[in-house]
Amino acid sequence: MKPDNRENLDLSNLENEKMDKRKIGFGFWVSIGWMVLVIMAAFLAPILPIPDPDQTGVGGRLDAPNWDNWFGTDTNGRDMFSRTIWGSRISLTVGFFAIVFGFIVGGPIGIVAGFFKGATDKLLSIIIFILFAFPGLVLALLIISLLGQTLAVVCLTVGVVGVAPIARLARAITIATAEREFVAASRILGSTNRRIMIREILPNVTIPMGALAFLGMALAIVGEGGLAFLGLSVEEGFSWGKMIVLGSASRTLQKAPWVSMFPIGIMFLTVMSLNYAGDRLRDFFDVREIGIGGG
Amino acid sequence: MGFLLKRIAQMVSVIIAATFLAFAAMNYLGDPLFNVVGFVASVDCDAVSAGEIEDVSGQGGTDVGDCEVVEAAREKYHLNDPLPVRYVRWVGDVVQGDLGVSFKNSMPVTTIIGNRLPKSIFLMVVAEIFALVIAVPAAIRAAYKANRAFDKSATVSSFGFISLPNFALGVILFYLFVVKWQIFPSRYEDDDFFTRLRSTVLPGMTLALPLAATYFRLLRTDLITTLQEDFVLMAKAKGLSDRWIMFRHVLRPSLFSLVTVFGLSTGGLIGGALVVEQIFVIPGLGRTFVEAVIRDDFPLVLGLVTIISSSFIAINFIVDIFYSVIDPRVSRET
Amino acid sequence: MSAPLVSVEDLHVSFLTEQGSVRAVDGVSFDLEPGKSIGIVGESGSGKSVTAKTLMNLLPSYAQVEGSMKFDGRDLREIAGKKEKHFWGVEMTMIFQDPMTSLNPVKRVGEQIAESLRVHMNRSRNEAMAEAGDLLEQVGIPEPAKRLRQYPHELSGGLRQRVVIAIALACGPRLLIADEPTTALDVTVQKHILDLLDDLRKERGMSMILITHDLGVVKGRTDEIMVMYGGRTMEEAPTPTLFECDGLHPYTEALNATIPRIDTPSHTRLVPIPGKPPEVIGKIIGCPFVQRCRYSTSECLTEMPPLVEQGEGHFCACHNPVGTPEGINAREANQNAGYTPAGLDMKEFEIPAVRRDTGEL
Repeated sequence: MKPDNRENLDLSNLENEKMDKRKIGFGFWVSIGWMVLVIMAAFLAPILPIPDPDQTGVGGRLDAPNWDNWFGTDTNGRDMFSRTIWGSRISLTVGFFAIVFGFIVGGPIGIVAGFFKGATDKLLSIIIFILFAFPGLVLALLIISLLGQTLAVVCLTVGVVGVAPIARLARAITIATAEREFVAASRILGSTNRRIMIREILPNVTIPMGALAFLGMALAIVGEGGLAFLGLSVEEGFSWGKMIVLGSASRTLQKAPWVSMFPIGIMFLTVMSLNYAGDRLRDFFDVREIGIGGG
Repeated sequence: MGFLLKRIAQMVSVIIAATFLAFAAMNYLGDPLFNVVGFVASVDCDAVSAGEIEDVSGQGGTDVGDCEVVEAAREKYHLNDPLPVRYVRWVGDVVQGDLGVSFKNSMPVTTIIGNRLPKSIFLMVVAEIFALVIAVPAAIRAAYKANRAFDKSATVSSFGFISLPNFALGVILFYLFVVKWQIFPSRYEDDDFFTRLRSTVLPGMTLALPLAATYFRLLRTDLITTLQEDFVLMAKAKGLSDRWIMFRHVLRPSLFSLVTVFGLSTGGLIGGALVVEQIFVIPGLGRTFVEAVIRDDFPLVLGLVTIISSSFIAINFIVDIFYSVIDPRVSRET
Repeated sequence: MSAPLVSVEDLHVSFLTEQGSVRAVDGVSFDLEPGKSIGIVGESGSGKSVTAKTLMNLLPSYAQVEGSMKFDGRDLREIAGKKEKHFWGVEMTMIFQDPMTSLNPVKRVGEQIAESLRVHMNRSRNEAMAEAGDLLEQVGIPEPAKRLRQYPHELSGGLRQRVVIAIALACGPRLLIADEPTTALDVTVQKHILDLLDDLRKERGMSMILITHDLGVVKGRTDEIMVMYGGRTMEEAPTPTLFECDGLHPYTEALNATIPRIDTPSHTRLVPIPGKPPEVIGKIIGCPFVQRCRYSTSECLTEMPPLVEQGEGHFCACHNPVGTPEGINAREANQNAGYTPAGLDMKEFEIPAVRRDTGEL
């Protein structure tokens, strides 16, 4: 029976798959390494020895990548390498603050709903449900049409889209945690609801939610890019999304594909690192529900 | 049947709540008259008539005359009524197929949407078909021989596609197939079904590949879980062929997550379609929506939000019903 | 003695894992004549289910199988290699422990019975469905026409196991392997199912392998009993012979003591077996049961006792079988020392000390 039944429905390697989950893995640290690199570059952009991203004529127009301009130059002769680094600042800012906003608003809604259950839960769940009724980008368009196109509004907009899924996940985890023994023990010892929520529930919700923060950041960065394509991202400055839009004009694509492909590549690597790290953490902490969709 | 009625009632109330929210936001945060009579609409006319604010007529500023225009417009659009009354009136119009008139060009919102919507729907349907046609067979093959070469390469590439934003994929595909190899035309044409399909293949793929990657991962995981069930062992003990077991025993119970995500991902697909339409210059809803937002064309924005959100809710409602088709245990619960 | 229907000789099954090769079955042999039944008894991990799955060709591909298995004179491994389509499920079939999970939740009961008939017997959909109804009647399910259209979740556990049996019987197999067929069921239902299996076997002249952890299940039911531990056969005998002496092997004796009986005075304590079954990685020397045995001697640690015939058709693999002078001596020596040669405290064998503390049974 040894070699012959290879054709059989075979689950031989599933054990290995389970084993993998216990280790965080090398890939995780590579992802973290890339993110650290990107974040450092974004922070240090002003003191790095790179040309001013807005200075025209650093090279020729649409120069191919060369030793002076690693990523080539754009239609105005601006250095694409420098621009890619500077562009990361807005993309990362949106990614970070959108998720912070989503967690600050969605987290407590979910925890309170899951903790008190009953009428509170019903009410908050209805709010979550209604937010879910809007496809992510539609909600974003609605908000931007009302509030304008500043950096703060873009962060807020992308963040609002994340509120409903984050709240739903926090609620699910809270319900699971609230049933565990240490919560009951704390209650018997006379802790107030407030204390239990902050001391017992919050730490237990934070860890698995942290894993999802990575996935959320990836989605937020992509979300900003989507808004840029609709011409609705920040008006001032430029992000990766806006750079890709500029580079994707037919004529530029034809003559100088690198103008869009480098920002695409860097954005892709960053998003993939966030996704991969988040995925590993999620498996590691065994968070079942994949919470964040849409958008 | 009670179950069905309850779900329909739930769906309708969510649609009402969502549209009310959008309606209220439009009315409070934006000035519904801005584009009708100019910026003056936001001026406090009571204060002007009471003389508290200086009359600056003739200097391009606010004057009492403008206030009369505003007042007339308010009357015309029933803007002096309380919000709930206006909402109910609006719903009444919507039910009769009247979504109001665009501020910009005075065309009925329904006409504008009616012209653009079919192109967007066609794009999304094509994308879903591509995604399923790619994902389902791939997941079956990958799960059938888990952790073998095909499974590993498919799993890795699916991860890549999940991380590739659809606008980035769109630019890459546009560059390769339109600009470089010139396989597809750069202009959107839909004179007949064939040209329309040809114009939709690339944007459809752009939307489909990341979606297929998501579907693939879910279905593969679920198939592998189902393959570990006792009834699969039982089916093998019955001497059924692997093919028979895979398609007649394993596939259906493994579809639950896929069906859920099919519904939820429609939200992402709609957003993606709006973006991808920009790249491939498709005159669908995307462009209309963006223009409406930029020009503060509130009736049009509200109409679009209403149509899109309602369809999204309805799709998820149908998905819910579909559960009871694939899992007989669901229909028992209420 | 007629030619055996099933003949297993020196079967070895091992699984390659990261920790090494796990020996699940280690040199098992038995014969089963047509129309006869054998009970394979042992705790989980004893290798009994793996033996059954090996016969059924249900092992994953990383399992390594050695030894010979014949069905009606044909080599089972050859049949597997040829990918014969109408062998498993037709000639031999198997039912599993939990009827809740061994039926497909999204398929109607009727379809699940009929599909074997359609695949193997070339029946049309309607013919197969009619036969499925007859089968349900045979396994004692009332209103078969109605049941055919129901889903598994609409049936009780007992009914589901009857459906599973009906599925197994569909193509008229000559051998039925029942792996813990009643373990997941209510005690009241267990007897009905076992009786049903017995009746069906006799009616159809079918052979049966009944796998269980509970000696009580096979008592008075199967023709033969084989007790397995650590992948090896510990004792094998005709059922009446085995129960006459309550087992020659210390493991059989211990299993016997775990069965509640009707004929003993009430409040007689059930005796658990101390320790748990070993997971055998690599080659082991000595008797696998030595760590849990109160009859052990130093010989047991170093030398695997061979399976020898102790009486008429009664085989036992033990250096110091229960009731023999060697056995009595070994036990007394251990009692006096307070420890067995394997280092087990003899106090563990006293009637459950732990439970005496709490005053609970």
